Amino acid sequence: MPPAIEFRRVTKQYSSRFSKGVTALADVSFEVEAGEVCGFLGPNGAGKTTCINTLMGFLFADSGEVAVLGYPPGDVRAKSQIGFVPENFAFHPFLTAPKLLRFHATLAGLDSTAAAARIPELIAKAQLYGHEDLRIGRYSRGMVQRLGIAQALLADPQLLVLDEPTSGLDPAGRKDVREILLALKSAGKTVFLSSHILAELEQFADRVIIVDRGKLVREGPLSELLDRGGRVAILVDHLPEEMERFLSERGAAIEHGAPGVRVLVDPAMKREAVERLWAAGCDVIGMYPVRSSLEDLFLKLVGDREKAR
Amino acid sequence: MKIRAIAFLTFSGFLRNKLMILFLVLFGIVVLLMMTPLLAMKSQAAAQGLPHTETVVLSLIGSIMSTLSGFGSLLAAWAAADAVWSDIRSGTILAVVARPIHRWQFLLGKFLGVQLLMVAYVLMMLALSYLLAAIGGGHIHPAPWLLIVYPLVRYALYSGLAMLLATLMHPIVSFAIMLVIMVAETIVAPGGNPWYLPAWIKTGLYAVLPSPNLLSETRYLTITEASLKSTSPLHHLTALAYGLDWALVFFLLAAWLFSRRSLSRE
Repeated sequence: MPPAIEFRRVTKQYSSRFSKGVTALADVSFEVEAGEVCGFLGPNGAGKTTCINTLMGFLFADSGEVAVLGYPPGDVRAKSQIGFVPENFAFHPFLTAPKLLRFHATLAGLDSTAAAARIPELIAKAQLYGHEDLRIGRYSRGMVQRLGIAQALLADPQLLVLDEPTSGLDPAGRKDVREILLALKSAGKTVFLSSHILAELEQFADRVIIVDRGKLVREGPLSELLDRGGRVAILVDHLPEEMERFLSERGAAIEHGAPGVRVLVDPAMKREAVERLWAAGCDVIGMYPVRSSLEDLFLKLVGDREKAR
Repeated sequence: MKIRAIAFLTFSGFLRNKLMILFLVLFGIVVLLMMTPLLAMKSQAAAQGLPHTETVVLSLIGSIMSTLSGFGSLLAAWAAADAVWSDIRSGTILAVVARPIHRWQFLLGKFLGVQLLMVAYVLMMLALSYLLAAIGGGHIHPAPWLLIVYPLVRYALYSGLAMLLATLMHPIVSFAIMLVIMVAETIVAPGGNPWYLPAWIKTGLYAVLPSPNLLSETRYLTITEASLKSTSPLHHLTALAYGLDWALVFFLLAAWLFSRRSLSRE
């Protein structure tokens, strides 16, 4: 089975007659396996949307190879198995939700019977019941976004490509989207989504890809990435001042609070730290690994580069 | 089915477009203004007890319809230039092209949507011709199909060219180029003798530009029944094939260029 998404050494530059070209993607390579939920992260302007537009066939890479479900981007055979939600989803404002879904059902090749059964189901899923006669131009941002997700699910796609699907949604709306994504994950669908809401991604992504300034900075299974960036917490009853200074100089984080002091150190120096703490007369109450959050990892990778600029 | 769905959606979009409403208001104003000579002539003839002259009535109707037909060419050019561009600008194109359709199918749907708009426009013009003839006391001699098919083919040609230009540049620039082309066509048309234009430029432009005069329906409005009958079916066929050929070439070029362009707003 081919990977759901395959990028091999893809480069894309936006050129202009009047200014120097901007490199949006530089030699980017990654794969997303079928059945994975893959989070695609990066700060604004990192190249996420360029990447998504390239894989959907809206843009053409200057060099490198892209394959989606084993086909070149934009191939009709691949597109028949893809559900797509673009960033800042825009609809024809004069249509109502059922009319828009009927239009997309026709484009997706659904027959009228299948569409008639599927549309009310999706209207319910997008919580747009009671708004069927309202034109989309009068919808709130959240309603439009939910409708966007509903249209992406219309043809029961194998691969979902979502560009910032939760932007503009309130916490309740984000929770609904999260539940939809979890249901898709348990149904074995492949989901490739870019998002800024890292805490949410952490709850259901199997794998993350982080890009910054058009370059891939980290990719891998989420559990591995978070463990790799993890630390060890040593809980002690008290911490003498000179010991605190010594540990801080070696990169440890100190957190004072009940029931003692928590010292966060790199796994490599845990033994040395414990021995020194014992020697300094501190009572070590406990020791346990602490996984870093996706946000920590993201800020570490992207923040370091920001500082370096 | 897919192309039809895009065509009907494009047509619905045009009917709700503010510029289109403005255009229709202008259409109405022009019609009302141009009707005044017809009404003046009718009233003068009635006051003096003179029989009306059909030739004069038909000539007046011909000039009104010629102006409206020119408006139609502008409408076709604007609608075609804006049809694709507005979808790219608003971002609605992304969700549509993400569906299992080819880009040429999308473009054909847009093109047919423009043609639906032009069918509505031509039917309005036809109804107006008959109304004016009834007011003036004249008769429209040519068969209705002539007054429908000729302008439609001409509009297909113009919209194909505008769509081609709009795949390469901003629609306002495309529209401006279309205006220049239309003016150039009128200048170099047979019968015109522009003293400021060297003969070789005139001949060159005439050879390069499509000749909408061949596809003019208004010339049939003003001719008599006898001369109308002398126009052979072969003449109609070749004239219409000429226009459709241009439209097809423009559309195919537009489809080829559109399949290679970026659809992103950036």
